[in-house]
Amino acid sequence: MLALDLLANGLIYGCFYALMAVGLAMIFGVLKVVNFAHGEFFMIGAYTYVLVSLKLGVPPWLALPAAAMAGALLGWLVERLLMRPLYAGYASWGFMKDEYAVVVTFGLSLLLINLVDKIVGPYSFRGPPLIDVGRFAFGPVMLTGQKAIAAVVAVALMIALALFIKRSVWGLQIQAVAQNRLGASLAGIDATRTTSLIFVVSGMLAALSGALLAPLVNPSPDIGAFPAVKSYVIVVLGGMGSIWGAMIAALILGVSEAFFSVYVSYDYRDAFGLIILVAVLLLRPQGLLGEKGREV
Amino acid sequence: MPFACLRPLAALSLASLLALPAWAADPILIGVSLTQSPPGSVVQGTQVKDGMEILKDLVNAKGGVLGRPIKLVYEDSQGIPEKGRAAVEKLITSDKVVALAGGHQSSVCLAEIEVAHRYKVPYVNTNCWSDDVRKRGYPEVFNTSPYNTLVSSSMATTLATMGVKRVVAFAENTDYGIGQAKLTGEMLKQKAPQIDYKYETLDRSSKDFTAAILPLRANPPDVIVLSMLPPAAYLVMNQVYEQGLAPSPKTILYDGSGLADYPDFWQNVKEAGKYMLSFALYHPQMKQTPLATAIATEYKKRTGNEVNRLVLQAADSLELVIQGVQAAKSTEPDKLVKAMQTMQFESLRGISNFSTTPGYGAQQWLDIPFVNYELTAEKQPIAQTVMIQAPGQKFDPSKIVRPAK
Repeated sequence: MLALDLLANGLIYGCFYALMAVGLAMIFGVLKVVNFAHGEFFMIGAYTYVLVSLKLGVPPWLALPAAAMAGALLGWLVERLLMRPLYAGYASWGFMKDEYAVVVTFGLSLLLINLVDKIVGPYSFRGPPLIDVGRFAFGPVMLTGQKAIAAVVAVALMIALALFIKRSVWGLQIQAVAQNRLGASLAGIDATRTTSLIFVVSGMLAALSGALLAPLVNPSPDIGAFPAVKSYVIVVLGGMGSIWGAMIAALILGVSEAFFSVYVSYDYRDAFGLIILVAVLLLRPQGLLGEKGREV
Repeated sequence: MPFACLRPLAALSLASLLALPAWAADPILIGVSLTQSPPGSVVQGTQVKDGMEILKDLVNAKGGVLGRPIKLVYEDSQGIPEKGRAAVEKLITSDKVVALAGGHQSSVCLAEIEVAHRYKVPYVNTNCWSDDVRKRGYPEVFNTSPYNTLVSSSMATTLATMGVKRVVAFAENTDYGIGQAKLTGEMLKQKAPQIDYKYETLDRSSKDFTAAILPLRANPPDVIVLSMLPPAAYLVMNQVYEQGLAPSPKTILYDGSGLADYPDFWQNVKEAGKYMLSFALYHPQMKQTPLATAIATEYKKRTGNEVNRLVLQAADSLELVIQGVQAAKSTEPDKLVKAMQTMQFESLRGISNFSTTPGYGAQQWLDIPFVNYELTAEKQPIAQTVMIQAPGQKFDPSKIVRPAK
């Protein structure tokens, strides 16, 4: 019974983790840089959802697209204003792109946290649920309506993303730029616009995960630390830049964390993810679905 | 008389000068290190600042202290011990403050008191509950804050009086949380050894505590004790409720940190807060001094919220420095320390002499008043909660209300 409970809970959280992490994987796949402000995309989505629904009285199902738009806008702005120097013709930037990306995204993360803290305040807010169903028993598993519906929406979004990447023209362009930016440009793909699109999609997905989880995690200005840490572990485990790897890794992390914390030690639950991170980097640096590569 | 027309102006200038003696003097600088930005508790930092600002304004409006205005110099510790240490070093050496107050997170206080002790500058502990802050026995450190031994002892007495058999505590992984959970266990061994007690340490930055809660479903305890602060405490409450564990006819939640005091409590917990039993350091039924009432009124005016224990604690810690300066008739740190050690402190919540007992009682206000109350309805104001233990009275378990199903 307990094992079933843990499995169900682990899978649900795995779906949430996947939604958080996949945007980070996309950015890494294309730009080969880590976005340290990824958690704050989540935070902006959570706050937009909560404030739009609680303060403006907008129904939660309409606050969800508002959060997605806020995340998309933030993603677009970050790419346009901060990330474009990495690849838009400034040759000297190419030599220090890792350092630049770390500094600029880390700075952005601190800026956003402190802005929200000063403008909205330090208190946490519990978002309104998407459906008005309290706790219920699903077989032996106890759930709330919000947890169940958030998991369903997360899975639907992942399927939609998979179809978008596999079937749409934009998705094919993203794949091409991720494989070879110069080659894609020579084939007539606007790599700059595609990169912008990746930031928009990444921001939107992170913001949507924040909005879906807002009734469960009660956002406060520093809420972004939790999805960011999970996302880094997932991206490394799944294979740096691999979207499918990130989805599988998220489910593995969600379930294994749940079992580890009950059968080994709850105290080291979050450390468990970091142990996985170190183990993967040592034993299989390319992750589950990543490819071996080298830079010259 | 060519200058006759200037006479009224000269008289006015003189009158203005005479009206300004208090502000012509140098202000008394008091250093305040608190959390103003994450990752520490900005919620607590905000309330501490509010309490101190209100008292400072009230005192300055009446002419200040020794004819000098009070000026608070703030530094942001971010709830990080190293930053707190650096903040206090800067306040003492660069800003030249005469005393320090405002500490509200035990791990930060433990770092800060080392600096205050090195420079022999008085340090008033506003809200660091860990007994370790007292156990170092530094003569410069004065504790108007509640302390874990007081809370744990009271909670153990409550649990013993309730006649429960099995208790599980969830403690946050901080000096405060672990300290309180351990002490409660030790106290229970003395007061009610028949109670099966265990505690689980939870990471306060975590968001999903379900894995710690699920194993309890098969055999629910009689009481779940929370030694946690917001926002993690809210999440634990919601997830305990979601799993159907508490509140229930069998299991009751017992909060050890006055969670219902926080302005965002009901917004964050909703139905999960109903039937929660709470150890609390403030209740409107407690004795209030006129100054406490004035601060409560002003706090309501400025923030729209009801006053709570942390706002009053903050004001109390500043009030101790003010009374110390008045008693010493000086702002010299060594004279201040001596005065504060020997004077009778008239706080906002009662009269206190600081204990000289080593250990948890070192320079601690021992008899801090407390109550136990139960929240019996959603969004219930504290004034309307069911008082299970009034100040100075015994805990009455017959008053506890449990859900029907």
